[in-house]
Amino acid sequence: MTTHTNTAPTQEIAATLATHTLNRRGFLKFSANGLALAFALPLIGRVEEASAAITTQDLANAYIHVSPNGSITLAFGGAEMGQGSMSGLAQILAEELMVDWTQISVMQAVANPVISYTTGGSSAVSRRFTTLRNAGAAARELLIAAAMQEAGDSNRDNFKAEHAKIIYLPDTQVWWDYGELASAAAGMTLPNDLRLTNPANFRLIGKPLPRVDIPAKVDGSAKFGIDIFMPGMVFAAIKHCPTIGGTLASTPAKPAGALAVVACTASNTRGAVIANSKNAVAVVASNSWLAFKLAKKMAVSWSLPVSTAAVDSAQILAYAQAQLVSGAALVAEPLPPASYTPQSYAPVLAADVANTMGVPTIDATYSVPYLAHATMEVLNCTVNIVYAGDSPVSCEIWAPTQSATAVAANAALLTQLPATAIVVHTTFLGGGLGRKIEQDYIWQAIQVGMAVRKPVKLTWMREEDFGHDQYRPLALSRVKAKLAGGLIQAWSYRTLSQSITAQRGRLSAGSVDSQAVEGAIHLPYALGKYLVEWVPLEAGIPVGYWRSVGASINSFVVESMMDELAMAAGIDPFRFRYNHLVGGDARAIATLQAADVLSSSWRKQLPAGHAWGVALAQAFGTWVCEVVEISQPAAGSLRVHRVDCVVDCGTVINPGSVEAQMQGGILHALNATLWGEALFKAGVATKLNFNNSRVMRLSEMPAVRVQIMPSTNAPSGIGEPGVPPLAPALANAYARLSGTRIRKLPLFANATMGGL
Amino acid sequence: MIALNVNGKNYNVDVDPATPLLWVLRDVLGLTGTKYGCGIEVCGACTVMIDGQREHSCVFDVSSATGKKVVTIEGLSVDRSHPAQQAWIKHQVPQCGYCQPGMIMACASAMQAGHYGKEILSEMNHICICGTYSRIKDAVGEL
Repeated sequence: MTTHTNTAPTQEIAATLATHTLNRRGFLKFSANGLALAFALPLIGRVEEASAAITTQDLANAYIHVSPNGSITLAFGGAEMGQGSMSGLAQILAEELMVDWTQISVMQAVANPVISYTTGGSSAVSRRFTTLRNAGAAARELLIAAAMQEAGDSNRDNFKAEHAKIIYLPDTQVWWDYGELASAAAGMTLPNDLRLTNPANFRLIGKPLPRVDIPAKVDGSAKFGIDIFMPGMVFAAIKHCPTIGGTLASTPAKPAGALAVVACTASNTRGAVIANSKNAVAVVASNSWLAFKLAKKMAVSWSLPVSTAAVDSAQILAYAQAQLVSGAALVAEPLPPASYTPQSYAPVLAADVANTMGVPTIDATYSVPYLAHATMEVLNCTVNIVYAGDSPVSCEIWAPTQSATAVAANAALLTQLPATAIVVHTTFLGGGLGRKIEQDYIWQAIQVGMAVRKPVKLTWMREEDFGHDQYRPLALSRVKAKLAGGLIQAWSYRTLSQSITAQRGRLSAGSVDSQAVEGAIHLPYALGKYLVEWVPLEAGIPVGYWRSVGASINSFVVESMMDELAMAAGIDPFRFRYNHLVGGDARAIATLQAADVLSSSWRKQLPAGHAWGVALAQAFGTWVCEVVEISQPAAGSLRVHRVDCVVDCGTVINPGSVEAQMQGGILHALNATLWGEALFKAGVATKLNFNNSRVMRLSEMPAVRVQIMPSTNAPSGIGEPGVPPLAPALANAYARLSGTRIRKLPLFANATMGGL
Repeated sequence: MIALNVNGKNYNVDVDPATPLLWVLRDVLGLTGTKYGCGIEVCGACTVMIDGQREHSCVFDVSSATGKKVVTIEGLSVDRSHPAQQAWIKHQVPQCGYCQPGMIMACASAMQAGHYGKEILSEMNHICICGTYSRIKDAVGEL
């Protein structure tokens, strides 16, 4: 079992594919030195970047290859950023192809309209489950058809595939390796019956198989984008205008020791940052540290638009608070009956809810801050553009990117080269978290590559990475609820945030950004008369997708409010939730019950000074319930002792990866809940490295137990759903511990972190 | 020229003596297993061993490494046979994997000093954003 990165000459295969049409199942097969099978997959994660040049709509985007020498390869067109999707996809394929885990390789494909897809929305594996099963089965049946021809026996039942062999059952001394059949298989006709494996007989799906990317990650050989190294390359550092929205007044002179200075434009408009404005300058030197040093020291004259003064945390918060009261709210749920328009329904609905609400039992406003991503691997991109005279002839890019197709499209835009002259390699990503879907750092690197005309790696210093992020939006949410007889009779939920979608020009006026309200709509609870509204906030901060997106905001509010109401009613928080789930979503109930049972023994014998809290949330189709135990050894600190986590993600591909993603989501949420905040003063981000952006260290990590619900439902996402329940579970525990309700995150603002 | 011994090999490098060892390893020698995370010795991603001691190579002047033996993740073993590497594979520790070379080098340094289990953990209090801490504890628990 090997993993190859940066080696996938799939361009010619893409060209071949373009001349074929999909058959009725959406498969393509063709002979390319053995059997190669391409298959149409859902093309995009939820957060596909709209980009020109490459249209992927009708093309297939993954393929498997069985070579005459017997090697079996899955070309991986996504991004492996630690979530295990590279392995998960291979696991599905190997299952139906009837090969062993050690008999399949995964190859990272170069960007290609056929194979590549944008990785986001916790969809990399779950959305491709059925298609990959079909593809594996189709390849297997084609190989069997070839064996049938070889044997001169047209009875399919006389053949069996296992361990990458086709065995002839009437005489088991007769068998063929897949490699022997590969070329002939390419000429076979796909049968109607793919004979999918009965899930009860899965050999590989559902097993904690070792991931294919791990060996290279313990010996230093795994190549992240930042590790691309080639003889003769030069190194660039980026220096943005420190003020968001500011631009270069003039390109500074090349400092002594530098090889070049390159003015760089912004790839896209994001808040105060305007597309194609010169908002940064790159310094090129003989090593990254020298480039960093020269960039830091270099005096640059910037032009600051007056509006950047308003890109300020205090001003934005004050404006947001006013808008929450007086801004135009759009109804997200419930949808209007047929006899109404959204506009005519809103006042009717509001009056109906207000009538039942009367004086709310609780009327609370919650707030969460902007958050940086801070992936461990800073943003970087390596570019090699070859010129003939003054014309570029080829462009090769190595990038830790969640969207290789967007990178290719941007390279075509900037270089004006045809797609066939552009090769984009997706490297391993040292964390993605949603940040590496963006194109700002790619766009800069291509410009530097065009200026220096030799291999160049552009790296963002950590301070640039924190200071020029596309941040998780700040949000304010006001919730009113009425209790009677221990049950919610009325629920009014109004949330305000900047729209990530609108900032990308993809939200039509008057529409609700569905991501702004995820976690606030489709709630499992009986809420009586209810109303969910969103108020769009206009502000200059660039905002972006941060692991679990809107659910990271709204689940904190909803599940905190459920806890406040349970306390007000004097009912146990599990019981209060059960009471509002009667007749509701069976998976939500089962997940909650499992967490109740899992945690019951320790909750019954909590040490003095300890408290627990629970929260339940759904994100990306996956239910997660977390139960947290905390204590407060001293004011200003908190000890998180344990987190019990129950997850229902439908059919499990790799339980080891599910567990890891829950552990990871919990840590990510702990960092945000306890300390996370991005602050801005007159347009300038003030927290620029880990020393004043505290995160949890190894010694502080609570004991995490993950229990996975058995399920035969379709698989759903695992990358993000571990995040949303943690903040409310912790806040709910804190309310029990201290009597103080946390309605504003983070719990400990302005936290700092010492050196090692 | 600055003389270096890295993973048992001798090198002469022509850089500013104040250049941090990290960037000589990565950008001059092409030993990219050692990672840049923060540049201010807070995160631990750049950890290497110098004469057996764990050091943060992001703030360690290359000139100070002359005459000393530098070991990076690439030099820990030739075949992932170091017990820490084996434990990391067994427990499927890495997610994105970016911080792991630093974690493993800190672990190996503590092991070389004769420490075990929790003693080792206390010397590798690095930053990981993926949440591999739980599995690191499991892996180190058996060392």
